[in-house]
Amino acid sequence: MSEVTTVVTGWGITFIIVATYSMWVVSRGKIIGQELGIGEMEQADPGKDADATTDL
Amino acid sequence: MLAETLLVARKDLRVEWRAKVALGQVAPLALLILVVLAFALDANSSLLELGAGGLYWVAVLYGGTLLIQRSFDVETDDGNMDAFRMSAIGAPSLFLGKSLALFVQIGLLELVLGSGIALLYNVRVTDWVLLFVAAVAGTVAFSVCGVLWGVMSAGLRVRATLLPLLLVPVLAPILLAGSRAFETALGVRADAGWTWASLMFVIAAIHTAIGLGAFGFLLEEG
Amino acid sequence: MTSTTRSNAKMTATPATRVLGVLAIAATALMAVLGLFISPADVIQGEAVRMLYLHVPSIWIAYGAFVLTSVSSILFLRARKRREDQGRHYDRLAGSAAEVGVVFTGITLITGMLWGKVTWGTYWQWDARLTTTILLFVTYLGYLALRRLPADPMVRSQRAAVMALISFINVPIVHYSVDWWRTLHQKASLSVGRRPEITGEMYWTLLYSTLAVTIVATWLMIHRYRVIRLEELRDEEALAALISSRLKNDDGSN
Repeated sequence: MSEVTTVVTGWGITFIIVATYSMWVVSRGKIIGQELGIGEMEQADPGKDADATTDL
Repeated sequence: MLAETLLVARKDLRVEWRAKVALGQVAPLALLILVVLAFALDANSSLLELGAGGLYWVAVLYGGTLLIQRSFDVETDDGNMDAFRMSAIGAPSLFLGKSLALFVQIGLLELVLGSGIALLYNVRVTDWVLLFVAAVAGTVAFSVCGVLWGVMSAGLRVRATLLPLLLVPVLAPILLAGSRAFETALGVRADAGWTWASLMFVIAAIHTAIGLGAFGFLLEEG
Repeated sequence: MTSTTRSNAKMTATPATRVLGVLAIAATALMAVLGLFISPADVIQGEAVRMLYLHVPSIWIAYGAFVLTSVSSILFLRARKRREDQGRHYDRLAGSAAEVGVVFTGITLITGMLWGKVTWGTYWQWDARLTTTILLFVTYLGYLALRRLPADPMVRSQRAAVMALISFINVPIVHYSVDWWRTLHQKASLSVGRRPEITGEMYWTLLYSTLAVTIVATWLMIHRYRVIRLEELRDEEALAALISSRLKNDDGSN
């Protein structure tokens, strides 16, 4: 692997890990919240939370 | 406290003596591990002689983990933990007693494994004193850590897989030190055997101190 | 859409953390620009030096998170008998910090191995720092496994707190023994060029990356903390429902 590919791979993997983890945390919070009936007054609309899921 | 410690140790050893799991099942299994490790290295006699010290401790790790598991399964299966909590025996004595019992059992296992590497791997001991001291140091460290982590996973549903996961990272320095010290004692490495042996005593001392202080927290129920 | 309706929709966000989240994205974007394009390539390492802008901040965050886990664990053990919430606040803090710490230790390992591949020519060296880091990683994975087990919450938290403390005490033991192992027997070539001199623009980029990664990690920890609280609420509610259904059944049969 060349230096540039390696650097791109490393940054790419890191961003994927952090993005996946944060999305998991946010969605888990939402799911449990709905189970508990705390967040039901507004039904989750995927587009609405776009900024939250990309929050790194 | 000494009397209590001995009482607990005697109880554990008596239970073990009746069941004979350590000698009847764990020791043969650990010997088998030595055989399998020889398969892994294609029975290359020079590799086996070089690696004997490390392979010995890997086998001890395997067998020792099973013994630790068992030492606590015996307690939780019969609800003994509640009995301990009710009895006047203090957490420190319980910790030391169980460590002592484990020390004896793992020591026996090591005698079997020691003969195993001597016969199967064809090793020659160049420093008997170091070999003995390193084995004792490693066993003390092993038992103390074992009791500490054994009680951590005791009574939990998936303890059979949890205990090794928690235990191995803690035992890693002991494994490292034990292997290096044994290599010096077996004459395949020239340096620092005694430094490694003393490192194991230091690790054992630190974990004994932690165990004496923290065992109470780990026994508490809710 | 106003922020109040949205905070109803999203369980773990508040206006403050939403600002922090936006800040985290902006900081990360700037970090990528600085780290990947603006800062120069290193004279010796070339482009590979850009990996360090992720690698070094990640390990700092990981260590910081594990320190936080240990401190919270001590506070939990002290508070569990006295405070009204039985110290659960500290327990949640310990748990969320450990999880974020594990994520960043993982990133450290991956970026480190990739960096090693171009610099050393191999993914893995039995270098003291690498070996310690992988043992640290596994140790805290074990800690998280212990936290997830089905058991009485207080018993589990107590054991986890003790485990966090012992693990933390173990870090220097592991580090020194591994360090000794490698220095006593190491071939000289292995120790060459682990950390290059970092100066000027590279230094500032590294400093800035550390700040950016800290913001990201803080955001993650706050949200994880809130999710743990929700999980606890759910478990309590499930338990309460179970008890009341049992009581109802008893009434019916009698």
